[in-house]
Amino acid sequence: MAAAALTASTATAQTPTTFIVESRTMTTGEMMPRDYSPDGRNVSPPLSWRGLPAGTRQLAVICQDHGAGNPPPWVHWILYNIPASASGLPEGIPFDPADPMPAGLEGATQGANGWGLPMYRGPAPPGTSLHHYHFAVFALDAALDLPPGLTRAELLDAIDGHVIGQGAMTPHYSRHPAPEDPTP
Amino acid sequence: MADESRDRPGISRRDLLKSAGAAGAAALIPARAAADPPMAPPAASAPPAAAPAGPLMNLTANETEVLSAMVDRLIPSDDMGPGALEAGALRYIDRALSEAESDSVEAYRIGLAALDRYSRYSRGAPFLELSDRDKDSVLLDVQLGGATGAGVGFAGSSGAFFNMVKSHTWQGTFGDPMYGGNVNFIGWDILGYPGVRMRVSEDDQREMEAGQLPPARRSAYDFGQFQVGGGED
Repeated sequence: MAAAALTASTATAQTPTTFIVESRTMTTGEMMPRDYSPDGRNVSPPLSWRGLPAGTRQLAVICQDHGAGNPPPWVHWILYNIPASASGLPEGIPFDPADPMPAGLEGATQGANGWGLPMYRGPAPPGTSLHHYHFAVFALDAALDLPPGLTRAELLDAIDGHVIGQGAMTPHYSRHPAPEDPTP
Repeated sequence: MADESRDRPGISRRDLLKSAGAAGAAALIPARAAADPPMAPPAASAPPAAAPAGPLMNLTANETEVLSAMVDRLIPSDDMGPGALEAGALRYIDRALSEAESDSVEAYRIGLAALDRYSRYSRGAPFLELSDRDKDSVLLDVQLGGATGAGVGFAGSSGAFFNMVKSHTWQGTFGDPMYGGNVNFIGWDILGYPGVRMRVSEDDQREMEAGQLPPARRSAYDFGQFQVGGGED
């Protein structure tokens, strides 16, 4: 179970509280829009959260596929140093580090995904298989000022002991078959 | 004020260039990949001339346009200097397709057509009509293999096509000018490479370490010791 795996990796002195993670374009247990995959624009999806625990100073997000990777999970996206004042993420966090973060996310930075790239790259499950994409959000009790480019393991290690809340959503995706000839 | 280092990638431009050949990922780099070259640019060198324009021998006009756009995004020109197109990488690729890489002509044709189909399929427009950001996003998907799909038409993984073009673009930008690229030593200037020289004096060494050694601007084949097809690598 994805959530259990995460919790085990981020053992804290206290049990993190749970908060709500939502998206205006995605729902847990339903298909992600193709624009969040290479079948479309391959931009990061919007997320929002509510019910953060008191004392939240910063947030971190990991998008991962526990059905891929060797060993799993395959990481699609890591974003951290997110100020606690942010109520979510807009669609399309810049993949080019030269582009500034959206307003309200100043200081946020991206970690290395499974390809080693500091950006969101969406799901492309093989064939027509259906994979589940776990968007985990961590509420932290400290502003950690972490360096850019951390891997998932490095991030989980860095936030260990600071996680006071967790929320997640898990939509799924299966690749849309391309048309025989998409040329008009 | 935020620490500037947090607004930058975890990988520097120089690191990207150094790692691109080995890692294969993150090959979309600014032309100033080595923006802080260890060598000073020539003090009084003439502005680099652009590579010659005109049709290529081995590709159609449309294929040439798509390839040109791809090469331009792999090492783009920017406000700090010229990129792969100005360095003649396109001409280098065309020449290679006539000679040592002639077996790759079909792979180019299939790949360029697939690149354009994938662009239409995923972004709703031909590759040539995309913004630079969207071109980069498409090329990332091609590079990472995500553009592979029935109907799009890459032969095998899209990443294989990307790596072929990237490799040839690198060769055409940073290789010895004798092979048809690296026009006016543009590529070596990007890298800060001081050029081929048969003898390096102590003074040269000191100037090189201080980043003050003027580039030699000579091909290895300007020296009698080197001959094309000499059988030594």
